[in-house]
Amino acid sequence: MTLDFGLMAHSLPLLLQGAWLTVQITILAVFLGTIIGFVIGIMRVSHSPILSAPAAVYVEFIRGTPLLVQLFLIHFATPQLIGFSLEAYTSAVVAMSINSGAYVAEIVRGGIQSIEKGQMEAARSLGMNYGQAMWYIILPQAFRRILPALGNEFIALLKDSSLVSVITLEELTRKGQLIIGRTYKPFEIWIMVALIYLVMTLTMSRLVAYMERRTKTSD
Amino acid sequence: MIKVNDLYKSFGSLDVLKGINSEVALGEVVVVIGPSGSGKSTFLRCLNALEDFQKGEIYVDGIRLHDKGVDINEIRAEIGMVFQNFNLFPHMSVLDNIALAPLKVRKQNKKEAEEIALNLLAKVGLADKAKAYPDQLSGGQKQRVAIARALAMRPKAMLFDEPTSALDPEMVGEVLGVMKQLAQEGMTMVVVTHEMGFAREVGDRVIFMDEGVIVEEGNPNDIFTNPQHERTKSFLSKIL
Repeated sequence: MTLDFGLMAHSLPLLLQGAWLTVQITILAVFLGTIIGFVIGIMRVSHSPILSAPAAVYVEFIRGTPLLVQLFLIHFATPQLIGFSLEAYTSAVVAMSINSGAYVAEIVRGGIQSIEKGQMEAARSLGMNYGQAMWYIILPQAFRRILPALGNEFIALLKDSSLVSVITLEELTRKGQLIIGRTYKPFEIWIMVALIYLVMTLTMSRLVAYMERRTKTSD
Repeated sequence: MIKVNDLYKSFGSLDVLKGINSEVALGEVVVVIGPSGSGKSTFLRCLNALEDFQKGEIYVDGIRLHDKGVDINEIRAEIGMVFQNFNLFPHMSVLDNIALAPLKVRKQNKKEAEEIALNLLAKVGLADKAKAYPDQLSGGQKQRVAIARALAMRPKAMLFDEPTSALDPEMVGEVLGVMKQLAQEGMTMVVVTHEMGFAREVGDRVIFMDEGVIVEEGNPNDIFTNPQHERTKSFLSKIL
């Protein structure tokens, strides 16, 4: 078989447009998911069940259901509740953030629990309250330790963002489908889509590796 | 300064402290000795509420711990603690380790806190290590930094939980030296240790604990040369 290089070149700008949207929603979801994840993760290690129980339920529910179903719930089911429909873009970012938040929460919890008990005790014995000890002593060390795991999570999130094509958001995967619908050249287009994802994930893992080096002053 | 009445503590079904009564006067150096599992570390950790307890009361500087409305953080700020495993903050320089609590708890300004930290580092003989990180230090140096870190809060009393047990033998002396100097300056100290030489030389009073009770206490010379209890005798004969 011969590849239609003309079509591939011709399709690139459209696919890159889609890729840009993929990057946008992923960055937003990474940002929001990290905030959610830290809040939920810190709640989970709390000694107060008022904080830890809801956090546990959140994590179990999100991890125990498919992202695709969560996406449908948010995009198609919530309008019934709130009386208006969300834009696909909003639904995508919300679903991905909530989903990623649960995984980040587990990573954060593991990171916090991996810090030796003596660190918290030393901080508390100096008169710091729980919040200060967390903020100045535990979290900075935990963050450093969980960076590689966070990096993996964000790469997985970027790839999972292809799922939002089903709510007609024209990100990279959806753009590919649309072009194939017009041209009937699936091989050329899917290869390009795959390569563009690969470039994005490689860039991301480089970024994480760079951050790991940056934060590795000691420890 | 510190008063303990009828203190009981258990971990689940294991009774660790079974009715401890004791008192530490201002400026006194009390050394707690005893076999592993005797409850001496747990007792020490109760004094700044790192451990809770089931029964009894502890007064620090006239304030009853575990009373409603008592801010435990305020009390801990007044009691320094030094741990067996140093527990320095590995992500911070030595200077930041020492200056952090004065900055955040005492609300000192940065310049003041760092000046105090540098003075304390000089005092423990580590003036040149301010910029170093904990993992660049030897065990003895780490423990001296840990002492300086506790002192930076200007505590009214200091608790030492086996401060030399994790050290190589040749580093024990430098840490005990700093502690001895502190004692001479009049610091109120409670020291859990296996260093009998230190207990004898620096201690004002020695408490011998076994199986969750204080078996015997008194002047170090009396305890070491003329122990009254069988258990004290057998412990000392094994360790001296």
